[in-house]
Amino acid sequence: MTFLAHTGRYFALLGKVFSRPERLRMYTAKLFTEIESLGVNSVGLVMILSSFIGAIITLQLSYNLVNPLIPRYLVGLANRDTLILEFSCTIMAMIMTGKIGSNIASELGTMRVTEQIDSLEIMGVNSACYLIMPKITAVIFVFPFLYILSVFCGLVGGLIVGPAMGAISAADYLGGIRYLFVPRFVYLSAFKSLFFGFLVSSVPAYFGYYVEGGAFEVGAASTRAVINTNILVLVLDLILTQILF
Amino acid sequence: MVRVENLYKSFDGKTVLNNITAEFSQGQTNLIIGKSGSGKTVLLKSIVGLHEVDSGRIFYGERDFTGMSSRERKLLRREIGMVFQGGALFDSLTVAENVRFPLDMFTTQTATEKQKRIDFCLDRVNIARDVQRLSPAEISGGMQKRVAIARAIVLNPPYLFCDEPNSGLDPETAKVIDTLIYGITTEFNITTIVNTHDMNSVMEIGDKILFISEGQVEWTGNKTEILYAGNRKLQEFVFANHQYRQLRDDKRSGI
Ligand SMILES: Nc1ncnc2c1ncn2[C@@H]1O[C@H](COP(=O)(O)OP(=O)(O)OP(=O)(O)O)[C@@H](O)[C@H]1O
Ligand SMILES: [Mg+2]
Repeated sequence: MTFLAHTGRYFALLGKVFSRPERLRMYTAKLFTEIESLGVNSVGLVMILSSFIGAIITLQLSYNLVNPLIPRYLVGLANRDTLILEFSCTIMAMIMTGKIGSNIASELGTMRVTEQIDSLEIMGVNSACYLIMPKITAVIFVFPFLYILSVFCGLVGGLIVGPAMGAISAADYLGGIRYLFVPRFVYLSAFKSLFFGFLVSSVPAYFGYYVEGGAFEVGAASTRAVINTNILVLVLDLILTQILF
Repeated sequence: MVRVENLYKSFDGKTVLNNITAEFSQGQTNLIIGKSGSGKTVLLKSIVGLHEVDSGRIFYGERDFTGMSSRERKLLRREIGMVFQGGALFDSLTVAENVRFPLDMFTTQTATEKQKRIDFCLDRVNIARDVQRLSPAEISGGMQKRVAIARAIVLNPPYLFCDEPNSGLDPETAKVIDTLIYGITTEFNITTIVNTHDMNSVMEIGDKILFISEGQVEWTGNKTEILYAGNRKLQEFVFANHQYRQLRDDKRSGI
């Protein structure tokens, strides 16, 4: 299939996804399970990765910015801005694609090849809406929280490891992360993460929903979903950064 | 009653359904029989619209299914119970939740009413109470099939379609399933279509039989006629199991 055909079918699927649910209560119940399975269960991963990255950036910068003309507190500032502007938002979205995206693609793909999606359709349920809408909503909802959590953990990671390794003093670091702080950057990045949440859920859902074949194809679809979502996240990042900042 | 007229369906140039015309009566178990790969599943899926036919028409009673919008089809499908060849239970839900799903989605019954209905349907397919809380992965293939049947009949559908409901079941359970399908068909006067290649089922419940081979209707009749049919391909199919040749010969000689 051509890129254009995929795009067309993707938007057609979104049309099916965002239509009126048969029974709202069933959908809200599903929304909460999805928030838990896709969002809450990602909290641990986000915390671990972000703490390490924050710590590593802090160490790298402290060891390598040795020019006496550069004040030490810039280490904190650079760590903060890396986290706020790109890591916690874009890179985290790409990491989440590997976790949430592949999960969504393989779950829907398996449901497709075992005829569970057909079963829903035969019951008269809009399978795309029932299966996908709660996932997209859940991921969009949790992404800004994961973003804030990631920034926070990254900063704490630097604060703990930097001084502990003797790379930077806590005072310099704390001064740095407050120096020239622009709250607007946080809002804008959190706003960006909403779009990433949409991509990270809807694109893998598309690849999973239209699987044809068996276990082998489900695996292939999951891989394709992750690759394509990551590329789209970067493209969208480029566009949004140009527009917003 | 379900009627199909001149159905054609092909996949990538390979014709799977070749001019199928048939009528499936209400209150009877209509069987579609044929060898593996003859197109039974494709025919059944075309009737419910999971495959879009290339040409031909499908009627539910007087309603032309082929001409319907997707919204109209969705409404009509609530009248259909379907059992897929692989069971197709939702594996994120337990057995009881699977059967409850249509009730949750489409009825306003109270929890106790729903549970009563679930118990009733699962009892009819001989699923023990303590199995209800297990997940589909924890029960045997035959049990999955039976749960799928319970889920298909939970809303009392006027149309029931089963794709090989008793393949992979032991003869005893297979007979229980056949009797069950036959029972609900006559009791609730529903239109039932069953795909099978099991001659035991054919002789048990074949009110009306459609034999297809390579996507074409080769023969239609019922379970008494089938033993004496002159069609070669059908004879090969029926008498692949010697017991039925014996049965025919015995009947002929009046034993
Ligand atoms: N989605 C599909 N794409 C391409 N070909 C298909 C598809 N579905 C079925 N076919 C082909 O259609 C033919 C009929 O398949 P079908 O599944 O209807 O057989 P069947 O009679 O149900 O067999 P069985 O008794 O083994 O279930 C087969 O040759 C199969 O290869
Ligand atoms: Mg089949």
